[in-house]
Amino acid sequence: MTVRQTQTTCCYCGAGCQLLFTTDDEANKILDVHPVRGRTNDDKACLKGWYGWDFLNDPQILTKRLRAPMIRRGGKGAPLETVSWKEAIDFVAKNLLKVRDKWGPDSIMGAASARGPGNEPNYLMQKFMRACVGTNNIDHCARICHAASVAGSRQTIGEGAMSLSIPEIEDAEVIFNIGYNAAASHPVVARRIVKASEKGAFIICADPRITETARISNLHLPLKGGTNLALTNSMANVIISEGLEDKSFIQEHTKDYEAYREIVLDYPPEKVGPICGLDPADIRTAARRYASSKHSVILWGMGVTQFSQGVEVVKSLCSLAMLTGNFGRPSTGTGPVRGQNNVQGTCDMGVLPDVYPGYQAVTDPQIRAKFAKAWNVPSLPSEVGLQLTRVPERVVHEKDPAKKIHAYYIFGEDPAQSDPDLAELREALAAIDFVVVQDIFFNKTAMFADAILPATSWGEHEGVYTSSDRGFQRIRKVLEPVGDIKDDSDIICLISTAMGYPMKYKNSEEIWNEMIALSPKFTGATYEKIERQGSVQWPCYDPDPSDKGTMYLHKGGQFATADGRGIFKTSHYHPPTEVENEQFPLTLCTVREVGHYSARTMTGNCRALRNLEDEPGWVEMSPADCKAIGVATGDLVRVTSKRGSVITRCLETGRVRPGAVYMTYQWWVGACNELTISSLDPTSRTPEYKYCAAKVEKIADQAWAENEVVKIYADIKSAMGIAREVESR
Amino acid sequence: MNSFVRTNPRRCIGCRTCLISCVVAHLGKGFFDLEPDSYNFTPRLFMVKTTSVTAPIHCRNCENPACKAACVPNAISMADGRVIVDPKRCIGCKSCVSACPFGAIELVETGQLQFDGTPSRVALKCDLCSGVADSPSCVKVCLTDALELVTEDDLQAELVDKRRTAVMSSLTP
Repeated sequence: MTVRQTQTTCCYCGAGCQLLFTTDDEANKILDVHPVRGRTNDDKACLKGWYGWDFLNDPQILTKRLRAPMIRRGGKGAPLETVSWKEAIDFVAKNLLKVRDKWGPDSIMGAASARGPGNEPNYLMQKFMRACVGTNNIDHCARICHAASVAGSRQTIGEGAMSLSIPEIEDAEVIFNIGYNAAASHPVVARRIVKASEKGAFIICADPRITETARISNLHLPLKGGTNLALTNSMANVIISEGLEDKSFIQEHTKDYEAYREIVLDYPPEKVGPICGLDPADIRTAARRYASSKHSVILWGMGVTQFSQGVEVVKSLCSLAMLTGNFGRPSTGTGPVRGQNNVQGTCDMGVLPDVYPGYQAVTDPQIRAKFAKAWNVPSLPSEVGLQLTRVPERVVHEKDPAKKIHAYYIFGEDPAQSDPDLAELREALAAIDFVVVQDIFFNKTAMFADAILPATSWGEHEGVYTSSDRGFQRIRKVLEPVGDIKDDSDIICLISTAMGYPMKYKNSEEIWNEMIALSPKFTGATYEKIERQGSVQWPCYDPDPSDKGTMYLHKGGQFATADGRGIFKTSHYHPPTEVENEQFPLTLCTVREVGHYSARTMTGNCRALRNLEDEPGWVEMSPADCKAIGVATGDLVRVTSKRGSVITRCLETGRVRPGAVYMTYQWWVGACNELTISSLDPTSRTPEYKYCAAKVEKIADQAWAENEVVKIYADIKSAMGIAREVESR
Repeated sequence: MNSFVRTNPRRCIGCRTCLISCVVAHLGKGFFDLEPDSYNFTPRLFMVKTTSVTAPIHCRNCENPACKAACVPNAISMADGRVIVDPKRCIGCKSCVSACPFGAIELVETGQLQFDGTPSRVALKCDLCSGVADSPSCVKVCLTDALELVTEDDLQAELVDKRRTAVMSSLTP
């Protein structure tokens, strides 16, 4: 037995925990995994860090690893056939070229991955779409989570990332936590909030539910879902009307204050209280407390961004921090905590329709010329590309065939599980002429694929992830990949080369070096420096060891905007798109299950995590709503919206308000995205996952319902190609 | 005196890493090789969430255990600073389940069948990872340090501290 130890970064969530793997190299087998000291995690990890690597063993619980390329030789409707890599690559290249020749480069859409692959393949994916295909139609799942944070922050403070670092949270004096359930989405960040509380921080938690943060908060604001903007405008109103604003900071470091002030003056707590369902006195207390310290931190998550006014709330939160001078020192600022392990990195790599790596605008002719020269192409597309949430619109609703999306290259995503209004999304996937899925698992989207390209997983390749607080950290190969599978970067290079734009790299470092040379904010973050420091936080301009990176942004009130000044912005509040009504009297909001992740292909294939929580998932309901229809915890119920209907299990809890129900989004049987609305924020195009109208009904025949769940689960597994017989319980 | 695991509910975030660690520790290193549907997932501690409290419930390893007193076949004994169940002697009579005031002991399926083909069920409770790990696994994995193992010495030291604090505060006007 050859025992080897390898340290790598966890593949779940943006906390970027460090894990130490012990492997038996001869058997190619993991013997032990435990957390070790890292910049963000100390030596701690959550259940996903401790037990979430089991999918590498491919236990085939929900789905199974892809081990060889497959194509539909006979076209749509023909069976998937296992083929050689050469045939698969030729098939993909030929079909993409066919679509491009007929409909032009903007008829092709690319979606890249914020998960396992890491920064290097994502850099190549956007390079491929821009330089080889010739379109800016490249996007990824930030669109459905924190795109609103990136857009709103860049428009106000100039940088779309956490301004502070995860470890700084514990030394905050005030934490304003809004729409963020750290205990479920980032337990390792929740630990910092717990520590801050123990060190005496005043914690304000604005959340309709009694989350763990709300439970330990000093002031819980259980606002009605969808009223964030009214609350944040009202807090600004109190701060200004009571003279608590930081006048010198506003004068020296910001602009457009007057227009902002005019809007927020319309939101006195007495007027906002009834809108949010809050006591005006509590809004005043929150505002006074927030303005009382120069170490006030705002933390937010999907409860801010997954609304049709998401960008506006983000701007309003950044403005609140500017209003009180809460930027540019340790333990202060704004913290949009990123959900996926490398969603910050995928944004950093320019896997967005409007920017190149390092947040350089595609609309800037000089920047375009720089990239065109480096990538050895005569020109690059100058129009901002399509956001992935608009794919259904450009397939199902677009009447002009010349403007439709005709090919979709999906790399490491599962839109058929993760996107809103799944019925419409499936209609779109079925209608697209050519769909490529490049993944580690067979998933719901793969069922629509014309070509399936199997990739190596986290743990089977080298690279760099970016943690939520802008920290570049290495991922390392733990196991040898099994089967006829390839590294994502190699696959992209092969397709590109077959399409007439040759790309070839020796290793991930060579790709990284090309990227940092083109991105001033990352230029100093060499592999060598990342290895030496363990983590390098951007911006890091100089490769010299003296530039160690940047712990917190906007030092000395110098913002990352064109003139260095922060820009005050907010808007007027309006209610969510689809409000409750007679037919659908409840509001449905989608939330996280702590032990599961994303579309669940990874955690659903980990023994322990699956044992802890399994299909069909839960719908959290208030005791009053349970009583009204005569259901209790454990009962199977039917949840229905205008768009769909699913079976899930009732969880009665006093932690939610009457009239609002909550479903965790990881389930395939109780798939809440069959119900959610595809209403989008007008700027970030992020869907309104957090609010739609629904109803919950009792199912009289529980035995039938239990069997139905078992049957649907078995059907899913069989569609995913798992041969094992599923016992009927 | 027996040791026990104590929870600080101000620190617990309800993530249940402790529940998994309990099962993985007791099923042993081979856990990740087991056929996924072939074993029973039976943590020996239980997460409780009310509107105001989040905390796991563990066996307190009582000094005068109600479960032991109630146990008809004498399957429950005290040894090595713990209250332990001998699954071989347990007849599944549930007297201990009824007697425990914390709800910390329950009947679980062993995964084996009895002679008549019905599933065998025995009482299961926290054993402080005796014989399976150096310290209770739940304490080891808890990321907020919400759980701690309290020994007789720890409890004595706390008492000395508390008495000293009490004296100091009573002497200060």
